[in-house]
Amino acid sequence: MQSTFIKPVLAVYTALFLVFLYGPFLVLAILSFQTGPNGGPQFPIIEWSTYWYRDIFGLTPPSRIAPLPIEESLVRSLVLAMMTMVVSTVLGVMSAQAFRTRFKGSGIAFYLIVLGMMAPGVLVGLGIALVANVLGIDRTWWGTAFVLHVVYTFPFAFLVMLAIFNRFDASVEEASWSLGVSPMRTFRKVTFPLIFPGVLSAMLFAFTLSYDEFSRTLFSSGRDLTLPLAIYGTFSIEIHPNIFAFGVLTTLFSFALLAIYAVLMTLSVRRARRLAIQEES
Amino acid sequence: MSVLSSEAIDSMDAPVVVKPSRNLSAYWLIAPGVLWMALFLVVPIVMIVYVSFWTQTTFKIEPILTTHSWEAFFASDTYVGALWTTIRIWLIVLFMTLLVGYPTALFVGLFIKNKTLSTALLVLCVIPFWTSFLIRVLAWRPMLGKEGAINIILQALHITSAPIDALLFTELSVIIGMTQIYCVFMVGPIAFMLGRIDPNVIEAARDLGAGFGRIFRTIILPLSMPGVVVGSIFVSVMVLGEFATASALSGRKVNMLGNIIVTQVGSLKWAFASVIGVILTILIGIVVASLLRVVDLKREL
Repeated sequence: MQSTFIKPVLAVYTALFLVFLYGPFLVLAILSFQTGPNGGPQFPIIEWSTYWYRDIFGLTPPSRIAPLPIEESLVRSLVLAMMTMVVSTVLGVMSAQAFRTRFKGSGIAFYLIVLGMMAPGVLVGLGIALVANVLGIDRTWWGTAFVLHVVYTFPFAFLVMLAIFNRFDASVEEASWSLGVSPMRTFRKVTFPLIFPGVLSAMLFAFTLSYDEFSRTLFSSGRDLTLPLAIYGTFSIEIHPNIFAFGVLTTLFSFALLAIYAVLMTLSVRRARRLAIQEES
Repeated sequence: MSVLSSEAIDSMDAPVVVKPSRNLSAYWLIAPGVLWMALFLVVPIVMIVYVSFWTQTTFKIEPILTTHSWEAFFASDTYVGALWTTIRIWLIVLFMTLLVGYPTALFVGLFIKNKTLSTALLVLCVIPFWTSFLIRVLAWRPMLGKEGAINIILQALHITSAPIDALLFTELSVIIGMTQIYCVFMVGPIAFMLGRIDPNVIEAARDLGAGFGRIFRTIILPLSMPGVVVGSIFVSVMVLGEFATASALSGRKVNMLGNIIVTQVGSLKWAFASVIGVILTILIGIVVASLLRVVDLKREL
């Protein structure tokens, strides 16, 4: 059969694809261990060192290379991501809940929400900057940039919750209502615990998308920079391995976040299973 | 027996369960989200269209309607050139992501029968997204540079004798970078559609003597088309609105429409930036609409 020949070829292709996907990052990680402050962002590695990692934490003596302007921008980005996460998850759950019933105009509402994740950042950024100019509002990271971040992440939260509600067994809610429990209390006690894994995923999406968001923030955040903007600022000048070291550190931070998510997910699944067993016995 | 019991449940269902009137509450639930989108997404886009007709002087814009900025756009070779550059880069990157992504999706979605393994491969594809977008773009600099990894490897293997200059700060580097960053958006949807193909259909075709080429043309390709269209929409929308990759990997030599918007806003030429914003919106609208015509997604998904 021909496919016995095709499968290994595709396997090799996929392996090459992964090399293509990971190659640049691998090179970046290697170069982050370049010696400093005189080692440049290219091969060969003059001497292996952790100089640039220490440089990020301000543990190296001052040199001609300016330290990365990350401290305040990191705090801003984290706060902004938190705010975005909370608001877009709440909006996402509410909207998805609304979509469980057919209502007039649901088609338009759906497209309007999905448009938020499709519209290019540079466009909506420009738009909100114009609106702010006309209204005479200052552009700030916690104002104009924040509303745009929600415009971007809310559709993701919405779609995640929609998928969760699709597989949701509504009879447990109906059982609760038929026992005379109010809808609000039913949502809190029955629905929410069941959809909690979905809520966690929606939160994770919103947080990471906002934390890394760049093109929407560029025109809308005004004077105070968020982390991606601070990184972008270093692009135009000469780059140094400190930005590579920083890239490695942020990736590790992301993995830490992913690990927390995995732990919370396992815990909630285990709790649900325990409850199920209690019910049966 | 089973028929009887399900009928019994049906007849019980209606009178016992008192559904709270959910239809009205649906509007209350959807209102905040729709309002948010209307205020912070629709109003800004309408604003761009409106401001593109404002009068731009050196230091400020005034709400006096004029088509001056529009005329200036079409009269300038630089700006019309940026439009063509955007379209050219978009077409090449779209083709490249398909070329790079389809075989991988084919392998992950169709040839790997083990569910755990195919999930693991997909997760491997998504992991790079946990690195900041800008860092991923920047990572191509030490790859492609004159003393970069690719040149070193090529020389070590004696394929080339001197470093290739053309790898970095050219349109080529922009295309390579974008292909790597966006190809995963192609792999995901295609692999998803391929995974849904009933293996019995392929088995039947094979039993009837069809070779792989024929099976691919008549079964696999048509059934994967919705995935290709969804992936293409993702990639197109993102590439057309790009500017960061272009400016970081071309040394500001390659200017897409997004780059022009950034420079115009930088010099406070709001009306002009708006004109380009409107053109970009129209371009994206045309591309997405024509992609949606290829396959009826609502029916296929």
